[in-house]
Amino acid sequence: MTWVIARTELLQYWRDGRVLTVLAIVLLLSAAATVTGWNAVSTMERERAAAVGMDREIWNNQGDKNPHTAAHFSRYAFQPTFDLAIFDPGLTNHVGNAIWLEAHYRDPAALRPVEDAVEIQRIAEMSPVWVLQVFAPLLAIVLLFGAVAGERESGTLRQLMASGLRPAAFLMGKAASALVLLAALVLVVMAGSLILVRSDAISPLPDAFFRSSGLVALYIAYVAIFVFLALGVSALSSRSRTALLALAGLWIVTTVLGPRLGADVAGAISPAPSAPEFASRVEKESSDPFWGSADEAVARRQKVMDDLLAEYGVETTAELPINYDGYLLQASEEYANDVFDSLYDELWGGHERQRDITRVFAAISPRIAVQNISMALAGTDLFAYRHFADSAEQFRRRFVLLLNEEMIVHGGADGYAYVSGNDFWEQNPDFEYVPPGIREIVPNLRADAGIVLAWLGLAFSVAAVAVRRGLVGETAA
Amino acid sequence: MTNRTVLAHEFRSILHDRWQVGLLLLFALLSIYAVFQGSRYREALRETATAFETEHLANAAAWREQMVAIETGETRPEDDPWAGLAMNVAMPAVLFPGPLADFSQGVTDVHPFTARVALWRSVDRLFGNYQFQSPGETRAGPVDPGYVIVFLMPLLMIALSFGALAGDRDSGRLGLVLSYPISVREFVASKLVVRLGAVLLIAAASLIVGLFLGAGGLPDGQRLGRFALWSLAAVGYFAFWAGAIGWIVSLNRRGETTAMTMVGLWVLISLVSPAILAAAAQLTYPAPSQLAFLSLARQVSSEAHREQSSVMEGMLLEHPELSVDNYTLPEYIRESYLVTQTVDRRVEPVLEEFDLVQAQRRAFLGLVQYAAPAALALRAMNEIAGTDLERQVRFEREVRDYKSRIARAVEANVLAGERMSVAEMSRIPQWSFPEPGLGATARAVLAPVGALFLFGFGFAGRAAGRLARLETRLRETS
Repeated sequence: MTWVIARTELLQYWRDGRVLTVLAIVLLLSAAATVTGWNAVSTMERERAAAVGMDREIWNNQGDKNPHTAAHFSRYAFQPTFDLAIFDPGLTNHVGNAIWLEAHYRDPAALRPVEDAVEIQRIAEMSPVWVLQVFAPLLAIVLLFGAVAGERESGTLRQLMASGLRPAAFLMGKAASALVLLAALVLVVMAGSLILVRSDAISPLPDAFFRSSGLVALYIAYVAIFVFLALGVSALSSRSRTALLALAGLWIVTTVLGPRLGADVAGAISPAPSAPEFASRVEKESSDPFWGSADEAVARRQKVMDDLLAEYGVETTAELPINYDGYLLQASEEYANDVFDSLYDELWGGHERQRDITRVFAAISPRIAVQNISMALAGTDLFAYRHFADSAEQFRRRFVLLLNEEMIVHGGADGYAYVSGNDFWEQNPDFEYVPPGIREIVPNLRADAGIVLAWLGLAFSVAAVAVRRGLVGETAA
Repeated sequence: MTNRTVLAHEFRSILHDRWQVGLLLLFALLSIYAVFQGSRYREALRETATAFETEHLANAAAWREQMVAIETGETRPEDDPWAGLAMNVAMPAVLFPGPLADFSQGVTDVHPFTARVALWRSVDRLFGNYQFQSPGETRAGPVDPGYVIVFLMPLLMIALSFGALAGDRDSGRLGLVLSYPISVREFVASKLVVRLGAVLLIAAASLIVGLFLGAGGLPDGQRLGRFALWSLAAVGYFAFWAGAIGWIVSLNRRGETTAMTMVGLWVLISLVSPAILAAAAQLTYPAPSQLAFLSLARQVSSEAHREQSSVMEGMLLEHPELSVDNYTLPEYIRESYLVTQTVDRRVEPVLEEFDLVQAQRRAFLGLVQYAAPAALALRAMNEIAGTDLERQVRFEREVRDYKSRIARAVEANVLAGERMSVAEMSRIPQWSFPEPGLGATARAVLAPVGALFLFGFGFAGRAAGRLARLETRLRETS
């Protein structure tokens, strides 16, 4: 019986001009969004590849230079954009894609695409997930607002009940028809992104199959939430007009207002530091306590020297078999690294706290939890960007150490006058980024996956109870 | 039943409808929240900008004091060889938040608004590190009064008014309207006036609260003028939606069809068309590669360092008068100046290209924005508030220009390795950012805001015509 109802419903959708119109608009939008996303990602990757090559060339050909001077010029770590960013760009436009790996300082990622964007892009960023997250629920509502209330108004519900139809079969039949259509939409949108990825030299994320399958499952669960909510509300409403109004309100709160309000409240509760203030803190707290003229800084430098002289059993730095300037520079790096760890933990921690506060709003908007999982699977969430930034920072420390060691070991009495040449620069390693695998990201998904499942369970329960009550009530009447 | 009785009846029916009262209260709460948040945001920006400027002006003053001490003999020149070093001139350049940044945040959250203009920095690094904002927060966007007006206000207007005619139609009472001594047009208009008027009243009240809250007391003339313009843009957008809603109501469809059409229009106007226009602008006028710009700046810098002797030679050929023999300061200072100047010169064409692309996009959107009234309203509101992209681009250009003016003022001292005098320091240009006056802003937003009113009146005119025809049809069939 379930499949008979589902087939009948699908036939009705096919004949309903409104459904076809909305479906066509959603498909067109997703096609446009996919092409736009592909264009953005492939352009970013092309530009990144050119920049990586250029960075190596500039480094190799910088000529004779003191290694520490070279550490100031240093190199860049360029953030790769992976294949699934076409499907879900997540935070891609809002984080920088180049980190300067200079000595003495941990720089934030610069060159955020949003700074080049036109201001109305802030209203809505077109992407395939935007279409799925915002418009697929709307399509579910258009398909189902009259599923029970409409049948009741037209009197067909009573006829169906009289024919011995069970509420469960009715619910599953109506749900299955909408789910088939919406799942097909999810698959088409996902397939569109994957086909375009294959046509271009965009790097795939590790575990791409699991990630893509996870995304498909996630979005089917997401549309299922709205399918059951729509059925439940339709069954609870005496008229389809009332159902439509209630569902339109629900859609606005869950997909449009909730995520924005959540992020705004999170920003108010846990505000990010002001940029000039934070930049100044990083600079002062990492440098002044070591290089400053305060007693504490002088004592710190003195201790470095005393310890080193004791280690080599000599009286003066001139007697050291290594270059003292280089050693002191490296000591300052190691002091600053702890400060960077502490300050950046504070900064990222604040961003993560905002995300956690926003997650509370998932109680009124499942889109928030879905967004978090989707971005995580697509490698475009906060965790992914922090992973990249931390990897780049670890490389910066190794790279600066390498350059300082060149001065320490070979600088001798020349100190800052010591120079290395292109032979040395050519031997220096490149930054190779390895993104996190699925095992690393799964633990981060538990809370959001729990929320999505809770919403699914709640929506199903509401639909089951409402449809049973509605149908039994109809039979009794 | 007269106009007045319809108005009174509508007013009572709103008050007795729990859902409608609830929606109005929710809107009022969100509006007040937005006003409060906007005010907090602007104040935080202002405080940060002031602190930055104060700190760097104090540094500049301390730097000047060192020179005064040398000139008055308080300090011997040999005791402070760095005092008055022209290369160390550093001045703050600050973009204070626009007069109504609390009303629409615009692009202020993702762009730099402070710069330490120093000769040691080439133009690609003038703004230092500022990318510390939370990406989740910038991605979601703010809930400010602009958001409330552009996105939430039309939704409430739809929720309250979609049944203005459909309610009577669905309940079969439409024929009864003909027995009233007022026309169908007046009947519908009276209903809409009450329902939409309630929305406008709440919006206006919250904006007035915001006017005083953001000013921290009585607003000055500049803020009042901008507020009047901003409110006019908001009323224009309200008029657009009021007209559109009136027109959809006049189609005289069933309640759910009317509601669906209105929500569909909202989706189209508020979400789809701005997203399409933004994508179209960026695809039509792609920005030059930021990464290529970065690589160019680094390449030029590296080459200039590597070939410093020829760079120096070039400078001496241009400025033989600066070929001094008694250059006592470390040579790297003069070299650094020449390297940053070389980088500035070489990247200038790319920066001009960035500016050109932004100008082309602005011109493109200036034409096509009429297809997306939400974008039209938001851009006008940002421009009035002083938070638009164009102001930001202008700030960044002015900062670069400021650096080159400072460089011109002190170049001779840097190259000759001469200490600056107090008199010379007083000739260093001061930072100023010219803001367009109220009249210029009003002229700039005249067309978009006028278009919103025009669209609104156009829809309303068509609605009036349709309702008149509906009445004729109803009378013929009754």
